[in-house]
Amino acid sequence: MSKKIFIDFKRCIGCRACEVACEMEHGEARIRVFEFPDLTTIPFNCRHCEKAPCLEVCPTGALYRDQDGAVAFDPLKCIGCLMCAVACPFGVPKIDEVNKIMDKCDLCSERRAEGKLPACVSSCPTEALKFGEINELLWDREGSFVSRLKEARERGEKEPIYLL
Amino acid sequence: MEELVPVVCPWCSVGCRLYIVSVNGHPRKIEWDYDHPNTPNKGKLCPKGVASYQFTISPDRLKKPLIKRNGKFEEVSWEEAIRYVAQKFKEIIEEHGPEALAFLGSERCSLEDNYVLQKLARALGTNNVEFAGRLCQSSNFVARSKVFGSPAQTNPFEDIVKSKVILVWGYNPAETNPVLFGQYFEKALDNGAKIIVVDPIKTKTAKFADIHLQPYPGTDLAVALAMLNYIIKNELYDRKFVEERTDNFEELAKSVEEYTPEWAEKVSEVPAGMIKRAAELLATGGNATIVLNEGVNQHANGTMTALAIANLIAITGNIGKEGVFSGVIPGAHCGLCAAVPGVNCAQLPGPVPLNEENAKKFSELWGFEVPRKPGLHYQAIFKAMAEGKMKGIFIMGQNPARSLANSSLIEEALEKAFVVVSDIFPTETTKFADVILPAASWYEKTGTVITQNRRVMRSFKAVKPPGEAKPDWEILVMLARELGVGEYFNYSSVDDILREINRAIPALKGATPERLNSNLEGCFYPCPDEKSETPRLFLNGFPTKTGRAQLAPVKWIQPGEVPDEEYPLWLTNFRQVGHFHTGTMSMRSKSLIKRWPEGFLMINPEDAKALGIRDGDRVRVETRRGSLVVRAMVTDRIRKGVVAMPWHWGVNFLTKDDAIDEFSKMPELKAVTCRVTKEVVE
Ligand code: SF4
Ligand code: SF4
Ligand code: SF4
Repeated sequence: MSKKIFIDFKRCIGCRACEVACEMEHGEARIRVFEFPDLTTIPFNCRHCEKAPCLEVCPTGALYRDQDGAVAFDPLKCIGCLMCAVACPFGVPKIDEVNKIMDKCDLCSERRAEGKLPACVSSCPTEALKFGEINELLWDREGSFVSRLKEARERGEKEPIYLL
Repeated sequence: MEELVPVVCPWCSVGCRLYIVSVNGHPRKIEWDYDHPNTPNKGKLCPKGVASYQFTISPDRLKKPLIKRNGKFEEVSWEEAIRYVAQKFKEIIEEHGPEALAFLGSERCSLEDNYVLQKLARALGTNNVEFAGRLCQSSNFVARSKVFGSPAQTNPFEDIVKSKVILVWGYNPAETNPVLFGQYFEKALDNGAKIIVVDPIKTKTAKFADIHLQPYPGTDLAVALAMLNYIIKNELYDRKFVEERTDNFEELAKSVEEYTPEWAEKVSEVPAGMIKRAAELLATGGNATIVLNEGVNQHANGTMTALAIANLIAITGNIGKEGVFSGVIPGAHCGLCAAVPGVNCAQLPGPVPLNEENAKKFSELWGFEVPRKPGLHYQAIFKAMAEGKMKGIFIMGQNPARSLANSSLIEEALEKAFVVVSDIFPTETTKFADVILPAASWYEKTGTVITQNRRVMRSFKAVKPPGEAKPDWEILVMLARELGVGEYFNYSSVDDILREINRAIPALKGATPERLNSNLEGCFYPCPDEKSETPRLFLNGFPTKTGRAQLAPVKWIQPGEVPDEEYPLWLTNFRQVGHFHTGTMSMRSKSLIKRWPEGFLMINPEDAKALGIRDGDRVRVETRRGSLVVRAMVTDRIRKGVVAMPWHWGVNFLTKDDAIDEFSKMPELKAVTCRVTKEVVE
């Protein structure tokens, strides 16, 4: 399984450090933070789908899967046909109006080549953004839940714990 | 040549480390510092930290010294500018005495810059030396000094994670110190900690709250008194701690007898039941982190509120051990860089009080007589200026035209004196300057910082200053020489200055250039020798006369203004994550100004409806001092009866200068009354 950026909305404080970090790295922020009136904040970037519709419809091969599994992008091959933009269920690929080609998250391929985390993940002060392999992350989450169950038991909390 | 230069973030006081990747002295990008896991940020940065070099390359930077002639600024050489300033200052001293001069230091400059500034003021014979800490932490400074013998933040941030209860008072760390919030507060919540937030606004921090109390601005004191009352009356306090480690419990208990939660409900409109729940959780929930900020400090009754909270910390036993935390976390990165070396009208480096004994000690150390008469505090300097008594001022990296209460009055005062400003940008204050000196910005000089967590660290020069800009300490040394006191300022590097500081301030003796240059994680102040540091304070007692915490009686003090028919709404103000203070730097950072473009007014839907205001309307906000026009944001994130604006856009035209805290000299910056009307566009 490839590595991806996972988003834990609960931790996010809408500080937009991820946006600014991405903007400083790529000139334009490819991750965006949406803020709702009730203070829910949702950072959103390319999901690097396992069965990526954008990649499937790209007629020139400008979109491709790189060695780490990211849906990366070769600007030299892009003809600006917008097929990917239409195919993406999340509206991720955006047109770069000046160069008439598409622009999207590539999980910071240059940073990854140097062994660094993607810029947004490097910065995110709350660790709402995590870079990793899905099974590892889920395993972690299971682990922390189970350890909490055990702790509660050890504290002798009166309420019995049911898993529904 | 590409270099990776280690720096400390120039914005807030968390003290995040990062690298600047610089090519031949020009910043190319930042890189996160994941190499020093013991620094507070562990690599992480907020948006201001990420964008932190953008303003340094702004075309607006001041590059040459300027002298105002016939109302116009002309470029001059450094020699001419310094000669001119020195001559004017000498004239003022001869005609009116040194007390007609004032010096302002800065929480944005280094420890060394500030040390040299206060020393120059004192070498010239005046204690009129202040910085914006007066408008920031002074209330808490007074209160905690009284109760604990020291105002300092007590424990390393790691102890926040170990706390079971977090009380956040008048403070919004999720917005003002995001790294602190994400790396420590949220992790405490992961461990099951409960969080109590006291704030009239539903902030990003309040979103995480288990209990959110929303008092009217300026009535936090009532809530704190009621919590004391409830905890004492119901004997929920930490009996052992109170007996062994505090004095004056009876006096304190007596002083809060009348302040029941029901009384506080009437004053603050926080339901008594919620005050009780919060008090109970704080007293019985386990080890607590208790943090506060400007919502407590910036009031004419701020010291009393801070005092009540210090009492709460003491009687619940949440100090002087591991796993608790208390203190303030200012918005500016280096308040302690100015506070510790005594940039204060009544303190000398240490800081120690300005008294005969200390003045004598420093006279011996420095080789000149330290003036004994206390100087004027920040707001009083400008009052004296308005009255024509303060003839000259040297302003280092401060923007009093926007940062002090009642800006119109400050502008009038600045018109009347000989004003010298050293800064990195033209500001609202430089408009009134007679001489402007171009200073190097944070990444353009090497210097020492003391973060609010008392961590002393070095930040290194990563970028070449633009044009002829120079580090502030160099400017001050040139000026000292021209003023004929150069013999006391024989420094050729920041290390020379730091070595003198090592001798002048015992608690910094061990923070030597060698130690800080080779150990980027720095050390916790006090560090009395090169091997030691003090991550936790008060483990073996308090620096008070008896070694025990001095509980202090408290009482209700009315805020500076309360709503009436003419001005029926409370007005308060807050910070935004993307901006810093008066915006001198952050509004010149393109990634920040794009995302946080303008001021606005938060207003509750009920108030808005009554005034016929809809979301996005332009409204005029008016107080007895002035008015501003902004867009309305209609939202139930603010309680009814209160409106609020981010303070970065000129809010001090509305604040109140003539209600001043009697103990800390803090003006009423956070609770004034106003009326709001819809602006009709012709
Ligand atoms: S940096 Fe992290 S906390 Fe801040 S907006 Fe982005 S995801 Fe949210
Ligand atoms: S651009 Fe859209 S479709 Fe393509 S990988 Fe990203 S999220 Fe999936
Ligand atoms: S949290 Fe404070 S110190 Fe850290 S990056 Fe942000 S402004 Fe800088």
